[in-house]
Amino acid sequence: MLKVNDLGYWYDRQENSLFEHVNLNFEAGTSYAIVGQSGSGKTTFLSLLAGLDKPRAGQIEMNGEPINKIGLTAYRKSHVAIVFQSYNLLTYMSPLNNLLTAMAITDSEHRGDKQYAMEMLRKLGLSDDQMTKNVQRLSGGQQQRVAIARTMVCDAKLVVADEPTGNLDEENTREVIELFQKIAHEQHKCVIIVTHEPDVAAVCDHSYRLAKHEFSLEA
Amino acid sequence: MNFFKRAWLNLTAKKGRSILLVLVTSAIMLFVLAGLLIRNAADTATSNAKKSVGATVTLSANREAAFKKMRSSTSTSKSSRPKLTTSPVKLSDANKIAKLSNVASYNATVSTSANAKGFDTISTSSSSSSTGGGMKSMGGSSSSGSGDIAISGVTATSSVSSFESKSSKITKGRGITASDEGTNNVVIESELAKEDSLSVGDTIKLKATTGTKKTYTMKIVGIYKASSSASTQQGPGATDPSNSVYTSYTFANTVKGSKYKNTADSVTFTISDPAKVSSVKTAGNKLISTSKYSLSTDDSSYQTVKASMNNVKSFADKIVWLVAIAGTIILALIVILMIRERRYEIGVLLSLGESRWKIVAQFFVEMVMVLVVSIVIAGFGGKFVGNQLGQQLVSQQTTTATTSSTTSTQGGQPGGGGAPGGTTGGSKPSGNMQGGPGSSSSSSAASQKQTDLDINVTVMDLVELGGFGLAIMFLSIMLASGGILRLQPKKVLID
Repeated sequence: MLKVNDLGYWYDRQENSLFEHVNLNFEAGTSYAIVGQSGSGKTTFLSLLAGLDKPRAGQIEMNGEPINKIGLTAYRKSHVAIVFQSYNLLTYMSPLNNLLTAMAITDSEHRGDKQYAMEMLRKLGLSDDQMTKNVQRLSGGQQQRVAIARTMVCDAKLVVADEPTGNLDEENTREVIELFQKIAHEQHKCVIIVTHEPDVAAVCDHSYRLAKHEFSLEA
Repeated sequence: MNFFKRAWLNLTAKKGRSILLVLVTSAIMLFVLAGLLIRNAADTATSNAKKSVGATVTLSANREAAFKKMRSSTSTSKSSRPKLTTSPVKLSDANKIAKLSNVASYNATVSTSANAKGFDTISTSSSSSSTGGGMKSMGGSSSSGSGDIAISGVTATSSVSSFESKSSKITKGRGITASDEGTNNVVIESELAKEDSLSVGDTIKLKATTGTKKTYTMKIVGIYKASSSASTQQGPGATDPSNSVYTSYTFANTVKGSKYKNTADSVTFTISDPAKVSSVKTAGNKLISTSKYSLSTDDSSYQTVKASMNNVKSFADKIVWLVAIAGTIILALIVILMIRERRYEIGVLLSLGESRWKIVAQFFVEMVMVLVVSIVIAGFGGKFVGNQLGQQLVSQQTTTATTSSTTSTQGGQPGGGGAPGGTTGGSKPSGNMQGGPGSSSSSSAASQKQTDLDINVTVMDLVELGGFGLAIMFLSIMLASGGILRLQPKKVLID
């Protein structure tokens, strides 16, 4: 589904590249973990997959079409859903409105379907009362669930997550990872999670390590 | 869910910020509205002034041509003494001009003098030259040639500028009207009436100083009061203004002599639309012999009002534009700060795939919502601020206009105080024809009219304000949107 061809990225000089000549394939219905030390470039790699930045070399293809040809905005809108460590919800809205906003922007097939959005939030453990409160009144774990629900109500087949459990306790971490696994296996989406936590990586179907500017598949 | 709803949610969720934005925008809109109101009121005042102040065209003898003729005769024949000969205005010529469009009415003016017979006139003497110190002198005692009573023969006193400007007022009886033609009715000044214990219905006698030197019995039909300033504006040698009387122009012609029948020293035409003064003058010149007569225009009152209203309007325009520019800058800075504060939100929206123009549109919609509330607030406060500012401006303009017109009037004082002196020789320049008491008052009337700045908030004003507001908001958002257009979501959300 997602193919990375000869991908390279550097900030100022090519000699100091974060990675070069990366060739990877990501399939639907599978979860992937990308692990590596801090500063190794795994988040940058994720931002390229998410269409938040442009690669310096090579290209990324979504279903055989280069994403720069699709257009990064259109790609983000229709093909990818992103979960961030700091949740990145719209803070002046309720969880429900956050989902409805995302559905409207991404032209989801459930666009405007309030009941569908509420059902998703219920599935992720939010009460009806919590759904209409300001999102900032929720705990970190609840906010991350809202962020994950947001990816579920959108039609994007690719879900990328940057340290989604970084701010969560052990129990919430386990629940969130289970949710990602369900998204991959039950919704048949491709889930790519950047993490530095071995426990999280261990749950994913495949795990890539970024070290010394190269990706390697972990056993 | 679209950007309209996001805008609404944002404004309602952040109430404190929204209230501050409304207050800042209201202040800007208030001053823009005040400027618009003053400008519109000045426009209305100028057009009203056109209707109310009026302008005049005066038909009189062409003295310039007469002087030229006199000089040429001097150079050719040196045997006889040169003589200035001017022709009185024929009323038949005046009637032709009166039929032109835009001529509302006309007033024939004949100035002459006569000696009082059997009653006292008011005498003014300076302290240095006073011999008797008396206030009055007996009738007939003044020097021959010019009488001690100045006669202003008019069609109607109501058309005389001093009466129009209210510097002279009928206090008892009535003024001279067209129905007084052919009669010996007279309107005298209140000081003269008091001096001689005269009242309406009494008769006085006037003795002509030229021709047959006939004595005429005059019936007093009215008493007028001239402004105190008029009596102090006399030049040396002029009779006291209290000795000025008004009669029908036909009587003044009779006193001057039979050859002056159906003539006038000058005829003043009141023009209905001051803007048409020059076209009336051009059309009038085609109907008269320009070698004998000249048409002079006087739209100074209108010009005074127009000039000061233009100043007010120009200042109001400057207020509108300065506030609009300052408002745009202030709002642009606020929006720029707001965008910086909301980079995270913009980043989230961009990461979801929202287009940049829709994010800019969301900010614009938010500002338009703020603008609507601000316009309502400004609508309530605009009239008050506009009134305060407008009255201040008008009072400054009125003071300036009055000062300048007074200066110019005082510069022309000698000879402007009345008809006596040389009137028997024929017609006089038009400038002196209305030189009765209070001749300088038209400009003060104009100044008076300037205070009528009627400031009201209308729906059109609010629509115009809305247009300005939208333009300000649009420019502010455009100036600030550079930040949104350049913003990279990765930098906001990940870096």
